[in-house]
Amino acid sequence: MESYPIEVVPNAGDVHMACFISVKNAPDLKERLQAQDKSLTFAMVESNLIMDVVQLLVAATRAAKDNDTKKLSTQSLSSEIIYNLSPTKNIAESLKRFGITEDTTSLIAVKIGGDPIEVMEDMSKTVDGILVSFSKLDQEKDIKRLRQYYKIDPKVTEDKDILNWIIGAMAMKNVQ
Amino acid sequence: MIPDVQLIKQGAEARVYLGPFCQRQAIIKERFAKAYRHPTLDKKLTSRRVIQEARCLYRCQKALIDTPTVYLVDLDQSVIYMEYIPGISVRDYLVTEPGQEAEAQHRVAVAIGKALGAMHNIDVIHGDLTTSNLLMRETSGAVVLIDFGLSYVSQLIEDKAVDLYVLERAFVSTHPNTEVMFAQILEAYGESSKASKQILKKLEDVRLRGRKRSMLG
Repeated sequence: MESYPIEVVPNAGDVHMACFISVKNAPDLKERLQAQDKSLTFAMVESNLIMDVVQLLVAATRAAKDNDTKKLSTQSLSSEIIYNLSPTKNIAESLKRFGITEDTTSLIAVKIGGDPIEVMEDMSKTVDGILVSFSKLDQEKDIKRLRQYYKIDPKVTEDKDILNWIIGAMAMKNVQ
Repeated sequence: MIPDVQLIKQGAEARVYLGPFCQRQAIIKERFAKAYRHPTLDKKLTSRRVIQEARCLYRCQKALIDTPTVYLVDLDQSVIYMEYIPGISVRDYLVTEPGQEAEAQHRVAVAIGKALGAMHNIDVIHGDLTTSNLLMRETSGAVVLIDFGLSYVSQLIEDKAVDLYVLERAFVSTHPNTEVMFAQILEAYGESSKASKQILKKLEDVRLRGRKRSMLG
């Protein structure tokens, strides 16, 4: 698990993220999400749509900021993180695209705040998979879907430019 | 506001800081309240300008024009967090190294002209083109357009010509003997801009009368 500070809202606590592969209980997790199970305290993101940790950090920062000013667009801080990854304002579609599905085998668990040791324990207890480092992310990327969802110009080919394009699209969703 | 930030510029409309944001260095541009305006009006105008600036930056990014990426727009605090691009301004480049080779200067001029042509092609008017608002990347030397605080979208030939005129004045007044370089900028602009013929023709009219259009008769 990795933890990062949220500079914009320092009192929200750190963002904790853990990457899991070979996840076996996605259908069960999905069901619990749909039943709005309160014991699920962290967000679960489809990991092949994550270019870089920064992408998740920006989404989490925005969620923490909007939570701070009581301006969340979705029901919870967790779903807000997933919603913020999407460039569109359609909540259902955003959650469907960037959240986990029944077929998900690799995911990233994200939580804002809390004690890192407890968070880690909770994540690895809930997700039935193998915890891996973020460097594994590179092999997972689904560039085709990323290009489709973020409408990335075909002329943009370098990873760092793709990442900037994605962050820009995420940032602009409330000011378009 | 974020701790560990460093004020790098203070203007009439905003303060610009450099600080950490999501594991990167970011430019944090905060527009402050104007005490002389009615609070309600001030809030409205300020937030509108923040939105306008972010939109113009994003419009440029989508058209593959080298500009800072917008990271986060905070309308409550009137703050834009954006990409920090290490480099020096064209102003500093011309001031500190006045005697550069003509070839290097020509390259910079062409890059500026191309960038401006591309920007006007998507109807973005920068509104404050000076040599301080043109940045040269430390890594590649590529020209980056910055500070879209006064930018807006317009299709008018007039607005584009005035945009160029403002840059020309900036060039002439801050950098002596750069007429050749500005001519090179216009040449490159002419090649990349779609309506360059009309715009450059209009620029001649603007030169005769100045930036403000006479409203008489």
